[in-house]
Amino acid sequence: MHVWKEIRDREGGKVHSHCFAKRIKSNRISQLELSNQKDIVSPHKGAINSLQIDSTEGRYLLSAASDASVAVFDLQRPAVYQPISKHSSLFLLDKHHRHAHKFSVSSAIWYPIDTGLFVTASYDHHINVWDTNTIQVVVNFKMPGKVHRAAMSNLSTSHMLIAAATEDVQVRLCDIASGAFAHTLLDGVMTVEWSNSSEWVLVTGGCDGAIRFWDIRRAGCFLVLDQSRTQLGRRPPVLKGSMMTKSKALSLQDSSTKSRAAQKKHANGSGSKQLPIGRVPSKGPMKQRLHPGMLSTQDRATAHYGAVTGLKVTEDGMYLLSAGSDSRLRLWDVQSGCDTLVNFETVRLQINKPLQFATTQDATLVFVPCMRSVKAFDMWSGNMKSILRGHYECVNSCWFNQQDQELYTGGNDRQILVWAPARSIADEMDGPAEDQDNWSS
Amino acid sequence: MEEKVPECSSKGTKRRRDEEDSDGGNGVSLEDHLTFSDTLVALRIMRAQFPHIHKGSVEPFILKSQLYSSVKDRTQVDRELESLRRDKVLRLFKLNTGQDDHGIMFLDDYLNQIDRVVKRMEGKKGEEYEVFGWFKTHVLDSKLETGIEHQDLCSLLSLGGKVKDNHISLLINAGLLTRQLIDPNKYWFAIPNIGALLKGLVQGRNEVISLLSRRRYKEMMLATLEKKRLRMSSLDMRFHLRDLIGSGHLRTDQTPTGLVIRVSKD
Repeated sequence: MHVWKEIRDREGGKVHSHCFAKRIKSNRISQLELSNQKDIVSPHKGAINSLQIDSTEGRYLLSAASDASVAVFDLQRPAVYQPISKHSSLFLLDKHHRHAHKFSVSSAIWYPIDTGLFVTASYDHHINVWDTNTIQVVVNFKMPGKVHRAAMSNLSTSHMLIAAATEDVQVRLCDIASGAFAHTLLDGVMTVEWSNSSEWVLVTGGCDGAIRFWDIRRAGCFLVLDQSRTQLGRRPPVLKGSMMTKSKALSLQDSSTKSRAAQKKHANGSGSKQLPIGRVPSKGPMKQRLHPGMLSTQDRATAHYGAVTGLKVTEDGMYLLSAGSDSRLRLWDVQSGCDTLVNFETVRLQINKPLQFATTQDATLVFVPCMRSVKAFDMWSGNMKSILRGHYECVNSCWFNQQDQELYTGGNDRQILVWAPARSIADEMDGPAEDQDNWSS
Repeated sequence: MEEKVPECSSKGTKRRRDEEDSDGGNGVSLEDHLTFSDTLVALRIMRAQFPHIHKGSVEPFILKSQLYSSVKDRTQVDRELESLRRDKVLRLFKLNTGQDDHGIMFLDDYLNQIDRVVKRMEGKKGEEYEVFGWFKTHVLDSKLETGIEHQDLCSLLSLGGKVKDNHISLLINAGLLTRQLIDPNKYWFAIPNIGALLKGLVQGRNEVISLLSRRRYKEMMLATLEKKRLRMSSLDMRFHLRDLIGSGHLRTDQTPTGLVIRVSKD
């Protein structure tokens, strides 16, 4: 009944409208459980590899599976309304389709601007761009290796590039407008994500455990995350007086990545590099002059002790979550490039497949698929808030719908499960309650 | 779920008793001392409870997973460890027994361990032992991470004197450095003479888990489990239990008759 109290406070002006909405939403999110009102009938005959809901309307769910099938569901209009609303697929692209993929589809994403196009990436070395209304392939890109993940930037206004993470050593950027490959950035990659703060910044997670930040306008990466560089929690806000001391402290830090990044900033286009005294130059035989951007290829700092299997940038673009095959989940501060040392209690994570995890919009909760269950962790303390158990086999991906506060998860058991806030008993319309004393007949 | 140790004065007296009790801790039960409130206190008490092994001579070390089972908030453990490491109170070592295993040793203990190893190695002719002194003064002081690059190592050692390849091989043979498998130019810092204990660690873990898995309901009371002796490991049961609970393979539950340990399924 506290909801009524909140509404009264909102009416009386005691609570601001933003606070009111936020409180109701976080209350609902804390009560997530397997939904008994909504069900998705999954037509897939293979493990579900990726899920995505479009960002324009929050209405259509796109799912990709290992049997080369891709399906789209309408989340607001079910096929059957009673007793629970069952949503079946609007269309299914399976192997019988003329242009379908031959092997497992590892990820399917919507075109960020509208739902007229979607992009699928598959282990048959192809990336296809489909027209949703006619279900035909519009553009086709052939990659040199299996494609683990494809991503498009939500913020881009000037480019329409698809970043593809392949098992080959290069990250490729494909341009839909021209149908050509724009760039190749050198790395061996399992996951890729665009940054939420800049349309030119791409984050890749490699099979060697390194996480690199690339600016696509030039060669080389500008930041490599190193797990030995740590900071304790959030950075304190920068005060004017302490700006000078802070920059001095940063330049004296005993870390080679920072010195290289600093060098790149200071060596503006000039070929010669001024190395600070005491730093070791690059190894003997390789004394050729490298472009400042390419110095980072010699930086072998790792962010995880195994491959990086999942990446997620928070909506405000300030923090990055990464999951590795060493079964650890780390939270990085993007601006400083340090690990914030939040310990998420993950015992085991799936090692061989890329994971897709979800965060709430205000970045307070992270939903991580841990083998058969999905665990919800508090972002800054690392405590586990709840475990969502429902899948019969390993969970591969989850997507959080902020508008309705629902979580969609897909796993190896071919099911897409919906997790929604618990409905209170007063909402049930069962008719008058049975007479409990009438048991003798 | 776990019992908390009462604060302040009683903790002080219990700690003194633990330090006198050097063998296996049969006077102190694990059930009463499963959790602590502070990382440094937990480290000191676990260091005092380190099993006494007369054959090998290893200074006490603590595993990171043991800390996770002893202090409730894992983020706090990580952060306190980080600040203790930066203050040069202790050092972290990456162990080769698992993907994410780390060992923690107080700096004084580590230096004692190095001295012991050097003393045992001395006597062979034609070897240069001053490299150990350089290692202690220059390398350990400035490199606080778990690994080091070849170039950095050479430049730091050369602050003490002229470095030759023999010196580096001497360090590797003594067990202070190990090559990294992923990158041939990088080394991990290592604890010397610890090989037998690590083997015991791996075998002991398997033995404890199989002990519990063989039972019908895969669980046992903590009080009875503690008293069992392990055949394959020279480290005591309490060491292994803390490690396995912290890494998530076992879980504890409170029952009316005390704590029970179960094998955890996902």
